[in-house]
Order: sequence, then structure tokens, then C-alpha cells
Amino acid sequence: MRLAGVLVGLVFGVTLSWTGMSDPDVIRGALLFKEAYLFLFFASAVLTATIGVHLLRRRRALLTGERIDWQSVPVQRRHVAGSVLFGTGWALADTCPGPIATQVGQGVVWSLFTIVGVVAGIWLFLRRQPAAIDA
Amino acid sequence: MEEQLPWYIGGPVLGLCVVAIRGLMNERLGATGAFSEVIDRVGRRSLAFDWRGWFLIGLVVGGLVFALVRGEPGFDGYGWLTRTFEGDGRIFIAVILLGAGVLIGFGAKTAGGCTSGNGLTGTSMLSRAALVATATFFGTAIAVSFVIEALT
Repeated sequence: MRLAGVLVGLVFGVTLSWTGMSDPDVIRGALLFKEAYLFLFFASAVLTATIGVHLLRRRRALLTGERIDWQSVPVQRRHVAGSVLFGTGWALADTCPGPIATQVGQGVVWSLFTIVGVVAGIWLFLRRQPAAIDA
Repeated sequence: MEEQLPWYIGGPVLGLCVVAIRGLMNERLGATGAFSEVIDRVGRRSLAFDWRGWFLIGLVVGGLVFALVRGEPGFDGYGWLTRTFEGDGRIFIAVILLGAGVLIGFGAKTAGGCTSGNGLTGTSMLSRAALVATATFFGTAIAVSFVIEALT
């Protein structure tokens, strides 16, 4: 499981870096509708993931033997409120958690400030509400 | 090495990462969850991370491998921030990135996911909450970006 985690993380990290998702100007160009790349990239990723996980549904997970399935929670205020905060931070720093980790790996010094902020934000949340919640 | 991997290769590879985590472990891929796992464990004075902690390590190493192969990081400066603030004003870059980081971390945890957890994994499950979260953070980020553009 740990090996799977690190290998998938590696592929994910190289892909984010190589597609320019760690570059704040690429994110900004997309959010200002100057470049279509991010939207095409994101849509093709979502499409691939959606088809893939639905093909796997109700089969057995290879490593755990667990039956592949999921339940979704109803829409709550926190999904909107949290995403407004997240979206604001995303636009200010032109980066989000996955790309921040790859920026740190690339040796981008400015990203150290962002990652300290992310750690502080998550730590604040965990301190207020220790039980993990998922979407 | 190509400057930017074509989207029709990068996108499906990213999607397949979500499929791999689902098919191997029936788990949800998400970068915020990975950060959260590491912060939670370290807070308990442990380094025995589950797969999510190792996923985060993989992300950092992925960035490192990319920079080593390329011979330099993926970009210079830091976007609009280093273009706007120069000299002593650079302290504002640190303050803004720190504040943005807090919003990103706290906001993503509150919403149950970030661009990967909600945007990619949650939408692949056709979760209505994830679809609402994704529409909200994209809409907010676009609006804030236009405000920054107007002010700078």
C-alpha cells in the first residue's frame, strides 16, 4: 500500500510538473481565460477517472481485496464555504496542494511560505475538528 | 524533454492515478488528505504514515525528479507576485503566500477536498457535493484572479 502510494504520487508529481501545473503563470493564464490548456487537461483527467472508476465499481481492489464502492454525502454548506476560501487562496498563490508539494521538490524557494501556510491551515482545522470528514 | 506535456497525454495519466488508487485500495486520491495524514501523524510524534503520507512524499520526489532531469525548476520568479512586488516590497509576497496557504489548507479541509480530492476524485465518483465544491472553487478563483488583474 505504501509502495503504491509513493509510486502513484511520483507519477502524479511528474505529470503536474511537466504539464506546467506547478507554474503560477500557467494557472493564472487559465483562470483569466487566456489559455485553454488547464481546462482541457482537467476535463480529460476527470473523464478518464470517471470512466475508469465506474468500470472498476463492484470488482475487488487488487491490494486490499475490498469490494470497490463508494457513497457520496449530500451537499452541505461546508462544501461551498470551504471552496470559497480554497478558491481565494488558489487564485492568490496560483497554486494548490498537489502542485505546492511539487514546487517544494523542484526547489522553488517561494513555495516554502505557501507550504507553511497550508500546514498551518490544516492544523487549525484538525485542532477544531479532529474527526476526518470527506466529500 | 518537451516544454509542456500535451494535455491529451497529461490529463489521462492524471486520471489513471485516481483509477489506480481506487483499483488497488478502493481509496480516494487527494493531495489535501495526504498533507493532513502527515500533519496528524507528526502531531502524534509518529512517522508511520499510511499510503497517503507516502503519496505526498511521491509528489515531492516527482517535482525533484522533474527539476533534475530538466536541469532547473519549471519556472522563474513567482507569477504576478514577483512582477508586482520588488525590492523591500517582496515581504508582501511572503505574507500573501503564507495567507493564501492558510486559506488553501483550511478551506480544502472544510470542503472535504481540493483540486485533486474534490475536483478530480470526487467528480469521478459523480458526487454532487464534489461537483458543487469544484464549481465553487473554480468560480471563486476566476473571480479573484480578475480582481487581482484589475488591481495590479
